[in-house]
Amino acid sequence: MLKRFSLLALALLLFLTGCAGFTGGSEGTAASEGKTEDGKVKIDFWTFWGSEIRRPVIDKIIEDFNNSQDDIVVEHTYIPFGDIWTKELAAIAANNPPDVVINDINATALRGQEGQAENLAPYLEKDDISGRFYENLWDATLYEGDSYGIPFNTDTRLLFYNKDAFKEAGLDPNKPPETWEELEEYAEKLDKKSGDTYERIGFYPLYGVGSDVWLLNGSGMNYFNDKDEPVINSETNVDTMEWIKSWKDKYGEDTINRYQSQIDSQQSNPFFNGSLGMMANAATFYTQIRDYAPDLDFGVAPLPEKTSGSGNTSWGGGFVAEIPKGSSHPDEAWEFINYLTDKEAQEYWAVKNFDNVANIEASESAAASDELSEKDQMVYEMAAQNLNETLLTPMPAYAPDYVNLINPQLDAILIENEPAQEALDKAQQDVEELVEKTAQ
Amino acid sequence: MKKKKWWTMGRRESLQGYIFIAPWIIGFLAFTLGPLAFSLYASFTDYNITSRMDFVGLQNYDQLFTGDDLFWTSLYNTLYFVIFSVPLTTMGAIFISMLMNQSLPGMRIFRTIFYLPAVLSGVGVYLLWMQLLDPGTGLVNTVLSWFGINGPNWLFDPDWTKPSLIFMKLWSVGGSMLLYLASMQGISRNLYEAAEIDGAGAWKKFLHITLPLITPVIFFDIITSTIGSFQIFQEAYVMSQNGSGGPASSMLFYNLYMWIKAFQSFDMGYAMAMSWILFVVVLIITLINLKLAPKWVHYEGDDK
Repeated sequence: MLKRFSLLALALLLFLTGCAGFTGGSEGTAASEGKTEDGKVKIDFWTFWGSEIRRPVIDKIIEDFNNSQDDIVVEHTYIPFGDIWTKELAAIAANNPPDVVINDINATALRGQEGQAENLAPYLEKDDISGRFYENLWDATLYEGDSYGIPFNTDTRLLFYNKDAFKEAGLDPNKPPETWEELEEYAEKLDKKSGDTYERIGFYPLYGVGSDVWLLNGSGMNYFNDKDEPVINSETNVDTMEWIKSWKDKYGEDTINRYQSQIDSQQSNPFFNGSLGMMANAATFYTQIRDYAPDLDFGVAPLPEKTSGSGNTSWGGGFVAEIPKGSSHPDEAWEFINYLTDKEAQEYWAVKNFDNVANIEASESAAASDELSEKDQMVYEMAAQNLNETLLTPMPAYAPDYVNLINPQLDAILIENEPAQEALDKAQQDVEELVEKTAQ
Repeated sequence: MKKKKWWTMGRRESLQGYIFIAPWIIGFLAFTLGPLAFSLYASFTDYNITSRMDFVGLQNYDQLFTGDDLFWTSLYNTLYFVIFSVPLTTMGAIFISMLMNQSLPGMRIFRTIFYLPAVLSGVGVYLLWMQLLDPGTGLVNTVLSWFGINGPNWLFDPDWTKPSLIFMKLWSVGGSMLLYLASMQGISRNLYEAAEIDGAGAWKKFLHITLPLITPVIFFDIITSTIGSFQIFQEAYVMSQNGSGGPASSMLFYNLYMWIKAFQSFDMGYAMAMSWILFVVVLIITLINLKLAPKWVHYEGDDK
């Protein structure tokens, strides 16, 4: 009998250890309570920027801030990307959070609703810095009109194209495709086959970005309209999915997979050696080109429009600096955030990391910075310009995990050959139900 | 008249037993019982970790059973994985430990090689397997192509993602192999010799001597790996697209969905309700296993 009980106990233990992984830890915040010996306020600042490229940049910004005034000392704590927000959540729940945390911009409104971040409206009343940032970024931080995090950095998707391949195919290297139709036309010309095998393919929409980016590009809007109603099975969206499917059918699974695995391995990306003519990707993809294929003659352009005049809408994400609920020094934390998102720090970050920043002025002066090479400047300028047409996809507070209902249907269309209309109808219905349930 | 001794051998032994498991009991009472009770209560609330905890009755459970397709998808995926991976890994481990139980020169090297995957673990192994299973350049499909087989798309084809993971699990059966091997080495040579004199072949010896005598280990292995398989999480989190269980939700396992609900939607009450449902499911299966055990598990020295 005892044997049975110990086995049961073992079963229970295993079950519980499984759960224990989810609770996270909240050690290491004790420092945030205190002050330094000379009476300065200590601010605990959590980021996931630990790489050898990013860490020195953020540490320098912190050092500059610490030297710029006599009241506050910021201490940087690096926490890996996979842990930082669950740890933050645990720390908030334990009433012992850090003072400033870098968090996902698309979940900012949701965190406002759930009471995880401080409402920044009182500080903004004092010094209104909302005008510093691209409008789409700023809007993503609002919940019921109040901001819960200040935009720090962002990104955007562009079309990269190989100029040498363009010349070889008889295309003008200074005239990238402007519409989807031109994209197809150009791709057709760039395709190069020997026997049955493609030596070069012109373009495939799902290298570098997902089908959601093309849905956004085609419709010029998010999955939700102004009235917060889901719009998933619109005519444009059905059309877009069929368009993506047609590319898949054109090149065939084998070719697509062969290229995909090369893309996954980074160094041997087919765009670097000219066997992929055009590719949509984040602007920072350029840093890979710079590192792995410095001699590549390439151009960048906005994502083509679905039809002439439908708009070059692109997709972006980004991160905000927020004050977790219950921070012991919110006023000082605000001072630091204010510095972090001001022109000087933002420009330094932008130039040193080659990363898009949220501050418009910093973004524009970074594009012209002497520290950047000519190619750097060309890409950065295009990216900064593109931010005006870049939409974010904030998680709506009334249906935060709605994408989990849409993505399987998009997969069903592309992988399992489900008719686009039917699959999107199903997604529409599922999301409507989710919204309805949350509203109850 | 003799006074009956209170401090009997039996009591002494049970006390010793309790002392042995005391570290676990103390840990359980101090650290786990509280959270356990809390999660049961919170599963009846709309707890969001930071700001809200209102009692909502059975609403979470009601929504899970009647209004959440992804819940059923995740349960299906998990059951699929358990049903295939538990028997296959058990059989694989027994098979390999049989091979490792021969006395050949250099056997220690083979044992080390087969045990090695059990030492390596975690994300590194998953990344390695993502490369091995790559449809275009991966080693698995390359080897298959030598035999003229056009390998599947493994992690990109919804029909192949779960078999991919089961395949990967088979690679690391070394851990349970060790248990079987230890148990096989404990079997007396006399039994085999006696059987040989009676004219038993290798298969008969395995079936009538080895197998019955390792049933306690098989039983232990099945229970622990069933529980472990129900909790599959990391594999899907690392190896699926965006860690969201794709393509087409085919890797959306129970714990992954629970994690998404808890830490992406901040719907902790809902996630806790899910964890209690899983607890009940695993408990029932474990009880059935325990009930069936006397029919096939053979303990040496048992009177029965």
